[in-house]
Amino acid sequence: MPEQISIFEIVANASPPVLAVLAILVLASLASWVMIFQRWFSLRQSIIDMDEFEDHFWSGIDLRQLYSELDGQDDLTSIEKVFVAGFKEYSRLTEQSGADTESIMQGAQRAMRVALTREEESLETHLVFLATVGSTSPYVGLFGTVWGIMNSFRGLANMTQATLATVAPGISEALIATAMGLFAAIPAVIGYNRFSARVEVLMKRYNAFSDELTGILYRAAHSRG
Amino acid sequence: MTSQLRYYFVPFVLALALHAAAMMALYAGWNPDREESRLIKPRMVHAQLIVLTPPKVRPKSARQPVVEKTPEVKTAPVKAQPEPVEKRPDLDAIRREQERAEREKLLERLAETSFWDTLQEEADDLTASDAADEEAMIARSYQFGVYKLVVANWSRPPSARNNMEAKMLVELVPTGDVVAVTLLTSSGNEAFDRSAEAAVRKARRFEVPVESKLFERYFRRFTLLFRPEDLLR
Repeated sequence: MPEQISIFEIVANASPPVLAVLAILVLASLASWVMIFQRWFSLRQSIIDMDEFEDHFWSGIDLRQLYSELDGQDDLTSIEKVFVAGFKEYSRLTEQSGADTESIMQGAQRAMRVALTREEESLETHLVFLATVGSTSPYVGLFGTVWGIMNSFRGLANMTQATLATVAPGISEALIATAMGLFAAIPAVIGYNRFSARVEVLMKRYNAFSDELTGILYRAAHSRG
Repeated sequence: MTSQLRYYFVPFVLALALHAAAMMALYAGWNPDREESRLIKPRMVHAQLIVLTPPKVRPKSARQPVVEKTPEVKTAPVKAQPEPVEKRPDLDAIRREQERAEREKLLERLAETSFWDTLQEEADDLTASDAADEEAMIARSYQFGVYKLVVANWSRPPSARNNMEAKMLVELVPTGDVVAVTLLTSSGNEAFDRSAEAAVRKARRFEVPVESKLFERYFRRFTLLFRPEDLLR
C-alpha cells in the first residue's frame, strides 16, 4: 500500500498563486475568528450591562442622583452613555431660562439619538469585516482552485500519456484552496448573522429605554413648567 | 490604547488556539483515514475470490519425485487429481516400503560408514529442503500477484451466489501472457463461469518468475478456483 500524501506536503508543493490564496485565506480566517471572539465577549458584556443598568434604573433611584453618580466616569457602558447624554442635555436646557417644554424635550431627544447612533456604531464594529470575509472568501478560494486546476491541465498538455496520477496532485492541491475558503467563510457568515441579530435586539432595548426616559423627562418638564 | 489591546488579546489567543487545533485535527485526521482504507480494502479483496494454486502445485511437485511422470501430469492435470485419491493406499504402502528399505540401508550404511558421513548427509538434506522452501515462497509471492490481478479484473454477475465454484485451468507462456483458459469444473451458472474466464482473459499478462525452472514448475499451467464468499445472499 503506497503512502498517502499528507495535506501539508501538498500545500508545500503548491504553486505560488495557490499559496498566496491560501495565505490570504488563513489570515482572513484568523482575523475573522479574532473578530468573532471579540464581538462575542463584548456583546455578551453589553447585554449584562443593559440588564444591570435597567435593574438599577427601575429600582426607584432619583434620576439626578443617578446622573451625578455616572457623570464624570470614564468607562461608561453604552446605555449609561445614552442616559447621561439625554439627561445632561435636559438639565442644561432646564437651567436656561426661557426654554419651553417642547424645545427642552427636542434637545434631550436629539442628544440621546446621537448617543444611540454612536453606540450602534460601536456595537457593529467588525461586523462589516465578518460579512466581507463571509461573502468573498469562497470566491478567493475558488480562484485558487481554478488556477490550480488550470495549471494541472496545462501540465497535462505536454504529456504523451495522460494518467490520473499526473493531474490528481494538482487538483487535490487546488481543492484545498476551496476548502480553505469555505473554512474561513462559514464561521464568518454564522458570526455575522448571529451578531447582527444580537445588535438589533440590543438596539431595540436601547431605543425602548430612551423612549421611556423621554417619557419620564417629559413628565418632569411639564410638572416643572 | 492598552485597554484596546486588552480587548483583542484574549480573542486573538483564542483564535490562534482554534486554528492550531484545526491544524492538529487535520494532521491527525489524515492518518485514521488511511488506516480505515487499509482495513476495508483487504476485506473486499479477501472475500471476493479464492485462488487455489498451492493444492494443484503441491501434489505436482510432490508427485514428481515419486511417480516421475511429468508429461502425463502436464497433459492431464484434471484426470491426475482423482488418481491420488484412489491410489493413496498404494502410494502409502510404497512409501512405507521405501522408508523401511531406506532405514535398513541406513543401518547398513551406519555400520559401514563413519558417523561423520551421515551427519554430513543430513546437513545436505536440510539445505536441499531449505532451497525448496525458498522456491515455494517465491512462487507463493508470485501466486499472490496473480490472485490480486484476477480479483481486480473479476466482475461478478448478479446471479453469482456464495459458495459457487468454478475451476479454471490457465496456461501461460514464459512471458506471463495467458495463452489458454479452460473451464475444468463448472459452477452450474453459465454467467458465473463466463465472468471467471473473462477475469483471467482481461488480466492478459501475469507477473511470473524469470527463472524457467520456477516458471515451469508453478506457472506453466495452474488452476484457479473462483468462489465468492462475501455476497449477502
